[in-house]
Amino acid sequence: MATGLSELFMANRAALLRFLRARGAGENAEDMIQDMWMKLEAKEIGPVADPLPYLYRMANNLMLDRYRSATRRERREQDWAEGAGGVMADPADDMPVDERLILNQTLDEARAVLRALGPRVELVFRRFRIEGVGQRAIADELGVSLTTVEKDLQKAYRAMIALKQKMDTA
Amino acid sequence: MQEEALGWVIRTRDPDFVDWEAFTLWLEGDPARADAYDALMAADTELDMIIPPEPVAMPVAANDPGEPQRRTWRWVGGGAIAAALVAAISVGMMTRADIYTVTTRPGETRIIALEDGTQIDVNGGTTLRLDRNDTRFAALDSGEAAFTVRHDEANPFRVTVGDAVFEDAGTVFNIVHTRDATRIGVSEGKVIYNPEAQAISLPAGRALADDAQGLRVMDVAPAAVASWRQGRLVYANAAVSEISQDIARSLGVKLNATPGARAMRFTGTIRLDKDPARFFVGAAPLMGLSAIRTGDGWVLKEGNGPQS
Repeated sequence: MATGLSELFMANRAALLRFLRARGAGENAEDMIQDMWMKLEAKEIGPVADPLPYLYRMANNLMLDRYRSATRRERREQDWAEGAGGVMADPADDMPVDERLILNQTLDEARAVLRALGPRVELVFRRFRIEGVGQRAIADELGVSLTTVEKDLQKAYRAMIALKQKMDTA
Repeated sequence: MQEEALGWVIRTRDPDFVDWEAFTLWLEGDPARADAYDALMAADTELDMIIPPEPVAMPVAANDPGEPQRRTWRWVGGGAIAAALVAAISVGMMTRADIYTVTTRPGETRIIALEDGTQIDVNGGTTLRLDRNDTRFAALDSGEAAFTVRHDEANPFRVTVGDAVFEDAGTVFNIVHTRDATRIGVSEGKVIYNPEAQAISLPAGRALADDAQGLRVMDVAPAAVASWRQGRLVYANAAVSEISQDIARSLGVKLNATPGARAMRFTGTIRLDKDPARFFVGAAPLMGLSAIRTGDGWVLKEGNGPQS
């Protein structure tokens, strides 16, 4: 590990611990800090442009992974209880025709929702969400204010999440 | 709180986000906020499945009431220039004046030389987006491409693949992107996977796969990377499901495999042949499979049956 990063990690250990606790790690926060340390030591990491945010992001990703595997486990147990467990569908299998039909409908609906938001909102959302471009860069590209980009993103996110929820409950 | 949490989801998703202290303070205000944030982040991840893949066509006129136009829209007018410059390759939907799409039909390959000296070998059945104004950007929307990158320390070459970003560090590498998997092999130099998140470093001889089994890093023979450019496909313990996609892309045939065949694995070199019948006569037995011609394509099944 880059020595600069390890020094920074030690210097900010308390702050990172506080962040993990605030993120809901509870009594596992200490263990997770330890995990982070080990990951940092094991990984070959080149120079990081902005090291402290990098460490925070790493901690945040650990929490997101934890949440994801917890919900996945819940879902699996639920599937099991409902008798759908046992055989896990191989996602590599060709999708049955009816599922593909549903997927196409879904994509059509999503397309309509994005269209309805207007071309700029759609473009901003795609640049940010699919291509991972930062809001500042998008604002500069489009020649609009950062606030406009933020508002566009909120609008697009609200619409897309609402659509996803509607589909899940349908 | 939902609104606030959404705000934080968007902010922390920004690659340039730095204000983690403010985020900590917000979280500490109420333990329920972390849950709201986690739930929205999970919803955000699930959006992948419903975002339609095609790029946006921008209208010429921009309506942004209340917001002063600091600059005219950059893509206005530039579309024609970009289209003229890339007339030799098929131009798809124009998102902005500087973004253009390169599409190859199955079985068709192309070589693209970028102004900065970078070369992209595009395999069949591939959609790639490039940026006229930024020769260090490429987005592989689907298919396969090999990148021979002229390295520039100050301005790394970045390939966007779905949600992931690969950043070069002086490199020759090959990326395959299908509906359910992303695979990269590095034959020279080094590539960084998601420099802003996991930041996994992939030196020559390493490969990374992100598919139904999760994210994995493994070894690969550097000579095997992008071997399709030499008319060969080289595998070490690869699943037939993966190989059949490569074959379909390279030969331009519709190819299916029975579930039994898909689950099989193969190690070795397959020589490509533009004549599918001749190709399968040699290649299928090599994998312990037989190939059967169906209506408009081919099916791989288990066993060395007679070739049709």
